[in-house]
Amino acid sequence: MYRGREGQWAFVLHRLSGVALALYLLLHVLDISLVMYGPEGPFNAFLAFYHQWPFRVGLLMVIVAVIYHAFNGLRIIIMDFTDWGVKVQGPLWYGVLAVTAVIGIPVLWKILPEIFGGA
Amino acid sequence: MQVNVKIKRFNPEADKRPYWAEYQLEARPTDRVLDVLNEIKWEMDGSLSYRRSCAHGICGSDAMLINGVNRLACKILVKDLGADIRVEPIRGLTVQKDLIVDMEPFFDAYKAVLPFFINDDPAPAAERYQSPEDREIFDDTTKCILCAACTTSCPVFWTNGRYLGPAAIVNAHRFIFDSRDQGADERLQVLNQPNGLWRCRTAYNCTEACPRDIPITKVIEEVKRELLWRRA
Repeated sequence: MYRGREGQWAFVLHRLSGVALALYLLLHVLDISLVMYGPEGPFNAFLAFYHQWPFRVGLLMVIVAVIYHAFNGLRIIIMDFTDWGVKVQGPLWYGVLAVTAVIGIPVLWKILPEIFGGA
Repeated sequence: MQVNVKIKRFNPEADKRPYWAEYQLEARPTDRVLDVLNEIKWEMDGSLSYRRSCAHGICGSDAMLINGVNRLACKILVKDLGADIRVEPIRGLTVQKDLIVDMEPFFDAYKAVLPFFINDDPAPAAERYQSPEDREIFDDTTKCILCAACTTSCPVFWTNGRYLGPAAIVNAHRFIFDSRDQGADERLQVLNQPNGLWRCRTAYNCTEACPRDIPITKVIEEVKRELLWRRA
């Protein structure tokens, strides 16, 4: 493993979350499009299938990935268009992680009981 | 002090795959890793192969992956690494033997950006004047020694060896922002190719690795902006 610093890990997480979200989006669109077969179609069956807990944990990860990818995207825009952005890219990345945590933890609070409590 | 040196070795004529060779020896804390390698080669195992020339951080021959980071073996001291030292060849280029890699793809990328002065105007009687302020704009990028520490620290280059890489962009920057030069359009055209400038994903490994302290990601972003504003 190359011992890179903040920039390398920001890049790795951005790529991983990006690929994961692209795959999720594909699945999501296919899934929602099943609605066109009506209430007797496969849509409801799939929905029930996705209510199992592994997919709820997955949903949690999707939310965290969206928050991280969005805010790191802003970090990249700042770096691309300003010199100071490049200088403070390390602290900016910690900021991105902090914002991800600040938004992610309440989401966790809301979704965790649903995962283990059913609903 | 006693140091424990692990070197990733490979002889294509004898070995199927690279292996780790271990050497224990005495070294002074102020020794450079290059001194340690010399000690191993001269006193312990003459078959160890690596490049070095000036041994003073200016020829760019001995870039290696040392304890997980690209550096020049002649600039990093034993005391900065501790007793356990791991040396590997730089990544993304084909290993020819031990720590020696094929640098040709690296130099091909360098040549592709036309790293020389282009100005077809007849030379003036005195000099092609350049103000100190104009010279300052590309001062950082005049310092490159083509050691390849940056390009071979780049995650994009590891997976796509056709990416021109940070070193080529740094040397393009050297001339693109030279007020006396007229070849910027040609160079930007080269950098605008699919495996050019836009492959940079700002992982900053190049900036961290540069033994000449060139702010590489910063200058790559400057070239990106130049290309963007010219196209807009």
